[in-house]
Amino acid sequence: MANAIPFQLITPLSVKFDGEAELVIAVGTEGEVGILPSHAPYLTALRPGVLRANVHEAGGATRRLELALSEGFMQALPGKVTILADAALDRDEIDIAQARADLAAAQEEQKAAGGDLYAQRRALVKIDYANARLAVAGV
Amino acid sequence: MPSVRDLRDRIRSLKNTQQITKAMKQVAAAKIRRAEALQKQSRPYADAIGAMLRDLIANVGSIDHPFMKPGAADAPGGVILMTADKGLAGSFNANLIRMAEIHGRENANLAWYAVGIKARNALRRQRGETLQVWPLAQGDMFANAQALAQRVTDDFTSGRIASLILVSPKLVNMMTQRPELRQILPIVADTDTDEAPKGGAVEFEPSPEFVLGRLLPKYLEFTLYSAMLETNASFYAAQLVAMNNATENAKKLIDQNTIEMNKARQAAITKEILEIVGGAEALAG
Repeated sequence: MANAIPFQLITPLSVKFDGEAELVIAVGTEGEVGILPSHAPYLTALRPGVLRANVHEAGGATRRLELALSEGFMQALPGKVTILADAALDRDEIDIAQARADLAAAQEEQKAAGGDLYAQRRALVKIDYANARLAVAGV
Repeated sequence: MPSVRDLRDRIRSLKNTQQITKAMKQVAAAKIRRAEALQKQSRPYADAIGAMLRDLIANVGSIDHPFMKPGAADAPGGVILMTADKGLAGSFNANLIRMAEIHGRENANLAWYAVGIKARNALRRQRGETLQVWPLAQGDMFANAQALAQRVTDDFTSGRIASLILVSPKLVNMMTQRPELRQILPIVADTDTDEAPKGGAVEFEPSPEFVLGRLLPKYLEFTLYSAMLETNASFYAAQLVAMNNATENAKKLIDQNTIEMNKARQAAITKEILEIVGGAEALAG
């Protein structure tokens, strides 16, 4: 069995995943970050995006986990990886029509924001999250 | 003295009331279980975000974030009054509103935010402006908390409010809910150091200051969300107690009235017998 690290994905509403992972890849504010076991202590902010992880199943098999993540944080500590996110949706939970509508609304918002950087950022977060949901849903 | 029929009507109406309060008690008991489950589910997040915040503050040299600094000097102080949407929970809402009123008397120049329909109604009766209102338990509670956090962040950073205080209940246990007043903004750094920072070896991307800048708004959002969860759970706990008392009081009244009805009935029978006996004696005599 390849070596693995305890991995938790926590949202305010629930603990979405709690188990062992061989690899966790999330979208940080500076780009994609992959965490392997024995990573140095690390803390980063996450952009909304697709979270991918190779996690251990109960039987010992490895499973690919793919979730649409909203804004959050990833912390790697010796012996533990934690991701905090406002929301994490897997494929079955995603409402494609809703995601499309959100995307369109957010794009409008971005256009309307003009030079207001704060509003721009807010719109971008929504666009990223909508895109992540669509990507996970396989559209 | 009320007649037998009056008393019978009264007992019937009491029984109806008792049925309603009993039903409400059962509903509250079911809802509190759900509210508590939600609270429990949010605890891992609370622990994790608290730990991250401590690590960050330990690693950031100078904290330069608007949330950590006092706000504009001459702006009004912001107050969030958090109550339930509904009543029938004893003095639950009234206690919260009273605490807000006292705070309002002691401090001039306040701006209010209301969470919960009862808070809105109370603030509407008072002087002072209410900036915005959210329901407590209608729609998506987390989304409401996010909207509230967004609004107070905007107001705080743009200098429309100088600070932020939250009046909300604390669920001590099922029988006790205490209104509590605490400062939300500027954020008071949690300085308990029993958990020593894990050294300066943590790598932050892009920088500790940047991550802290992202984390603090989330922390605020989550603080407000968990306060809403606690308010909701406290409300059902208070309602459970209130409805339990109401059911017991109804039972007591039913018992009292039943005794009185029996007495009245007995008095009527005795009176009739006396009349018959009196009449018979008069005829015999």
